[in-house]
Parts: sequence; structure tokens; C-alpha cells
Amino acid sequence: MALEKPLREHGLKSERLLWPTKGPSRFENEVDDLEQKVGLTTLAKAVAWAQTNSMWPDTFGLACCAIEMMSIVSSRYDIARFGMEPFRGSPRQADLLIVSGRVSHKMAAPLRQIYDQMLEPKWVIAMGACASSGGMFNNYAIVQSVDKIVPVDIYVPGCPPRPEQLVEGIVRLHEAVKAGVPPAYEIRSVAS
Amino acid sequence: MNEFDGVPGLVEVVERHRETTIVVEPERLTDAARYLRDEEGFDFLSDITAVDYLGWGEAGVSGYIGTAGGRDLNAPMTQGYQVVPLAKPQRFAVNYHLLSISERPRRVRLQTWLADGQSVLTVIPVWPTADWHEREAFDLMGITFAEHPNLERILLDDDWEGHPLRKDYPIGGEPVRFSGEA
Amino acid sequence: MTATASRTTGSPIYEGTRIPSPIPTVLRTPPELEATGDILTVNFGPNHPSTHGVLRLVVDLYGEDVTGLAAVIGYLHTGFEKNMEQKTWWKAIPYAPRIDYVSFQNNEYVFVGAVEKLLEIDVPPKAVWMRTLLAELNRIHSHLVWIGTSALELGAISMFWYAFREREQILDLFELVAGYRMHTRYFQVGGLAEDVPRGFYPEARKFCAWMPKAVDDYETLLTRNKIWLERTEGVGLLSREDAIALGQSGPVLRGSGVDWDLRKAEPYLAYHQVDFRVPVFQTGDVYARYLVHMAEMRESVRIVEQCLDRLERMEGEPWIADDRKVVLPPREELHTSMESLIHHFKIVTEGFRVPEGEVYFPIESPRGELGCYLCSDGGPRPWRVKFRAPSFVALQATATAMTDALIADMIAIVGSLDTVMGEVDR
Repeated sequence: MALEKPLREHGLKSERLLWPTKGPSRFENEVDDLEQKVGLTTLAKAVAWAQTNSMWPDTFGLACCAIEMMSIVSSRYDIARFGMEPFRGSPRQADLLIVSGRVSHKMAAPLRQIYDQMLEPKWVIAMGACASSGGMFNNYAIVQSVDKIVPVDIYVPGCPPRPEQLVEGIVRLHEAVKAGVPPAYEIRSVAS
Repeated sequence: MNEFDGVPGLVEVVERHRETTIVVEPERLTDAARYLRDEEGFDFLSDITAVDYLGWGEAGVSGYIGTAGGRDLNAPMTQGYQVVPLAKPQRFAVNYHLLSISERPRRVRLQTWLADGQSVLTVIPVWPTADWHEREAFDLMGITFAEHPNLERILLDDDWEGHPLRKDYPIGGEPVRFSGEA
Repeated sequence: MTATASRTTGSPIYEGTRIPSPIPTVLRTPPELEATGDILTVNFGPNHPSTHGVLRLVVDLYGEDVTGLAAVIGYLHTGFEKNMEQKTWWKAIPYAPRIDYVSFQNNEYVFVGAVEKLLEIDVPPKAVWMRTLLAELNRIHSHLVWIGTSALELGAISMFWYAFREREQILDLFELVAGYRMHTRYFQVGGLAEDVPRGFYPEARKFCAWMPKAVDDYETLLTRNKIWLERTEGVGLLSREDAIALGQSGPVLRGSGVDWDLRKAEPYLAYHQVDFRVPVFQTGDVYARYLVHMAEMRESVRIVEQCLDRLERMEGEPWIADDRKVVLPPREELHTSMESLIHHFKIVTEGFRVPEGEVYFPIESPRGELGCYLCSDGGPRPWRVKFRAPSFVALQATATAMTDALIADMIAIVGSLDTVMGEVDR
């Protein structure tokens, strides 16, 4: 503090001047502690933190992978610790679409419809080999990879993936979101 | 075998692998079905399976046959022989797997042979459960069932063309990258 | 019907038949209700939390009454049967468990058992008993998934966590035996793929000691629960004659009073050597099917214990048949025997050959009669594989069971039929 003359000669009547032996007040102590209690961040990072900690999935269980997806909701592989246990029935309320299972050509249209009904920002995890690439079903009935229909953020391999594998995929998605990676629909369109 | 002599339209009765197959003519199928349900007590229809025998026997089966009592590669003069399966009467076979839920459970297979385009009467009046089984046989194999109240595609899209389980329908899918194939 | 009279007891659940006509699987709104103009057609699914997978129901509602119902399936059609025709007999085995993905060992067994029936191969006793044990563990697993999801749909949300707690224990056992939780691919033509690992029997014993207490927990939560009773008693009635005419089997048939279980009537594996009861209930509603499932879980635990009693004394016995035309020879032999090398080569590259013929092999899966129709032309690949899926047939009964139902009952009824869409659509 560089002043030309002391405060008392400025004509201020602060309490500290009239009472020179007074120590720091409670407010000033709190201001000192404040830097331990307040984080400085950017708006983008704050929003990303909020998004990852309550990214609600949509109930899109199709086949065997859906059973393993149900088991991450169960108590052993609890995804409630990530804030993701409310699987929303309505895509309007969901952020994450975990395509778990094989997608047949008949189901491709409802899948795209559900994806379109979700509100931005939205992410897609292709869970399992069938959603990632068609899996063992390289035939007339199954769409060979769900990224022909919706843009995919994370592919989780496995047939079916263990619940821990799916949780790893979800955690990587969270890390990507916190690092600022935009959702897939902004960086790529569907595969051809 | 003698117990099935009264089946209308009977062509033959085959006993293999501890199973009985009753082959009937397609025109008398519903009469045979009704007879088996009412007289013989087969009140439960398990399954209707359609099989396409196009190309049957063309890949000649040579070499040893893998059975427990089969050919021994070490025994002399057993170089393997060309076994071509006997030709089938028609292209399509429709099998009805029947069961009698009773103190003495019995199973039987009712079989009829159809040419491409030939249709057979529905057995819904006999066993109502045949509804979806027949729709599936129509959808995947293209076998028409006359007088079926709702013969529509059931497993594939409504506007799908072709019948995938036929032998002249390709498997589809995509070529796998880096697998050396086109 | 005289054939079934010997297997049914009790009074009829309702008189006559409720199967709709002309289409047995479609409930039609009566014309007088249509004329009021108050019918609302609602589409349930295919993406719906309560339809057990991708099932679409087109429902006509008059207020809350369900007056018309048509089921649309095929959203999970995978072309299993066509795919299996392209693969050798061995390579086709992994397709089978993914059909009914909740009771996967039963599916594997039905395919492998049908191939063995065509081959007329003898399976060693250790493999027979181990297969029985795994099939029963899978039955418990399937019923746990059923009760967890059905109760969740009817509002008993905490049942889901209780049921899946035990399910994790069963999956631990599968992982101990076969290396993976689901779709284990442990069943091989001729026996098992590998020997039973040593730590398995004590772990299975621990599970069997715990499981009856867990079933007691579930029954405490649901069986005398007033809300559960109100939602499931008297709902979804299916009489004996209608159930048989509609081809129902498994818990649906046993809930309607017909004492029919393939494990007792046409025993396979080791079921004629174990002692268990078959639960049958007379009322034909959703509650009866629930009671059948609960009782079956207890009986399955008893069967598993009896299998363990036998298996613990079978240490060191062969786990797969000895036929080198079908089964790979042990690796040590490949160093010394030329014939073993040739067998190994032929089986791995071309695949073993199954004699020409056709068989239909039915077993009692947790959902009912699961059958595999197999046609072979004598070559290394199947000519035709068809799976008779019990859920496919069970869904046909929705229209009949939905007579006089409210929309909330519809969820209970579809849930009680225990359908898995993978096997409906194949």
C-alpha cells in the first residue's frame, strides 16, 4: 500500500484507526481463508463439470449388453456414484444414449428418432461389439455399426463388455467432456 | 408305426434318431392335423419349421463321417467315400412339431413337401398358436399359408424384398477390411 | 381334452375360450366401442422402459381399459439362423447363447445337445452333471433378472437391487468356471470345453447356503405385500385349454394348473437322477406365475446341491467325450501321435462332420420349452438351424390374457410372460 500520508490524515474514521489494537475481524479472517474455498474457473469448465456429474442415460437397452448395462445400476458396480442411476424413459430428459446391443434395420429408424429427440448437448456410447461394428453378425439383418445412424463418442468393445469396461468407457467420456472435447455431432457426422 | 396308419394323406412314416416323422400330402395337411389332435391327442404344437433344400447334395460329402461308431482313419481300406445325400421330393419342407401333454408324453413331426410357390392351408383352426409360426415361415422362407387371417411380415420390415432364409438369398453384411477378401 | 385331463387338477379358471378371432394374437376393439369415437390408440415402444426389450405394442384404449392390442416384433431380428448356416458346427456354438441372452447356458446346451443327438455321441457323466448344475444356476439367474425387472416395472423398485445382488454372485460362479460372466461358451460338442476348476465347489456351496435366505428376503418383500397382491392377483388370466392351445409352456403353463415340466416328463441331462419338485399353481394369473418363479428358484438350489454332491466325487474324470473325430485330442498327444495330429488338423480347419438327418431337441429353459431343430447334410456346416423360442410363443398369449385389463395391468401381464426379445426375434 503506497500512500503519501497515513490514513488518519485522510480524514477517514474507520474503526481500525480509532481503535488501533483491534485485530482482524471475522470477515477478514474469512477473506483470508477464501482462497482455499473458492475456485477460479472458466464458464466452459464449470459447465462441463456439471454435465459430467449428472449425465443421465436413456433406457436404450436392446440385447445382451442391456443386461450388463442393468448390472452397472446394481449395487456392485454402482453408477450412482457418477450421478447416472436415473435412466430416463423419455429421451427429452436424457443426455447420454448408451446403445447397448445389436441394431437391426427395423430398429434403425426408432434409434435415429430417439437420438433426434434428445436435446443438445448429447453424447452416444456404442456399447458392445454389435453396436461398434456389427459384432459377430455380419449379415443382412444387422446394421454394421451404429455410427452409420448416429455420431458416436465412445466405443466400448466386448461381447458383452464387463460392467467395469462400460464404467471405464463412461469415465473416459467424462474426462473427454471435462477436457473440452465437443460432443460427436459437432466434430463428425455419421459414417457412410 | 402302425398307430399312425389312419392319418389322412399319409405318404410315409420315418423313424430316425428316436424320432417319428409323419409325411403327408400338402392337400390333406389340415385333415391330418385335425386327426392327430383329436384322435391321437397331440394337442400341443411346439413349432413350425420350414426348410429350403435348394442345392441339397451338391457339395458332395466325402471323407470320414464323424460318429461314435463311424469310420476309423487307422483301419485299412477306409479311404473315405463319397456320400451324396438322397434327393428330396420337393424344394421346401414344412415341419410341424407336435407334442401330446399327457401321462405318456409323445412327440411327432408332421412333415409335408412343397414346391416353390405352392401353398398349404393354415392350421390355425386346429392349433391357434400356429399364427406367428406361419407368419415367420412366410416372412423368412416365402411359404404362403392359405386362409391365414393375417399373413404379413413379422420379423423384417414391411417393405423388405425377398425371403432371407432361402438358400439363394445372400448372407448380406459388409466385407471385412484387411481380411484379404474383396 | 382327454390328453391333458391327467395333468390338470382344480376347477377351470374361466369357461370357454378367450382367444380372439379371427386373428388369435390380436385383440380387436368391439365395433360398438369404436363407434363412440373415444378410442385412443397408443404406441408402446419399441423403446420403452417396461417392455423387456424392443417390443412394440399398439394398444387401443377406452379410458383406462385396454380394448385392442397388437404386438409388433422384429426389432431385434438378427438373422441367427442364416448366420449359423455359414459357420462350422463349432463356430456356430457362440451364436446360440446370444439368442436368449438371459439364460445363455440353456441355449448353448440346446444347440450342443441337438448336435450330440445327431452324432449319437456319449457324453461322460462328469460333463452331464456339470451341465445340469450350470443349467440350474442359469435358471436361478434368469428368474432373478425376471423378478428384478418385473418388480421394478410394477413399482417395487428396491427388488431390482436385491435380485441383482444375488445375480452378481451367480455371475461370479460362471466367471470362476468359464472365464466370463455371460455367454460363457463353456459347452462343447461332446462335453465341456475345459475341466472344472478346483475352487468352484466350495464357492458354489457357499452360494447354495446363502440363496434360500435371499429367496426368503424376496418373498418377505412381495408375497404377502398388499400392493403386489392387488396388482397381480386376478390379472392376466389364462385357462388351461387356452394356454395349451396357444402353445404356452414353462411357468405360464404351470401357473395355469398344468403339471408339465420337460425335466420330469422327458428328462434330459441328469434330471432323472436328482430329486426336485415341480411347482404348479391353479389360478392362472400373474400372481401364480410369480409364485412358480419363486418356488422354482428354491428347487433349483436343491438340484445344484445334489449335483455338487456327485461332482465332488468325480475329481479327475474326463469332461469331454473321447471320440477323436469330433473332439480335439489332448495337446500332449499331438507330439507323439500322427493320427491325433491329423484329427486336430481336420477338426480345426474343416470342422467335424455330422451325419445327415434332422432332429428336434427340446429342453426346459426358464421360459418354457426351448427347442432346437437341426438339419444336417452330412457336412461340416449346419443345413438348417431353427430355435423354438418360448418367448415367441408366449407373446402370442398377450391378446388372450389382456381381456378385461387396464393399462396398468398390461405391464404386469407382459412382464409375467417372461419374454426376452432376443429369442422372440432371433
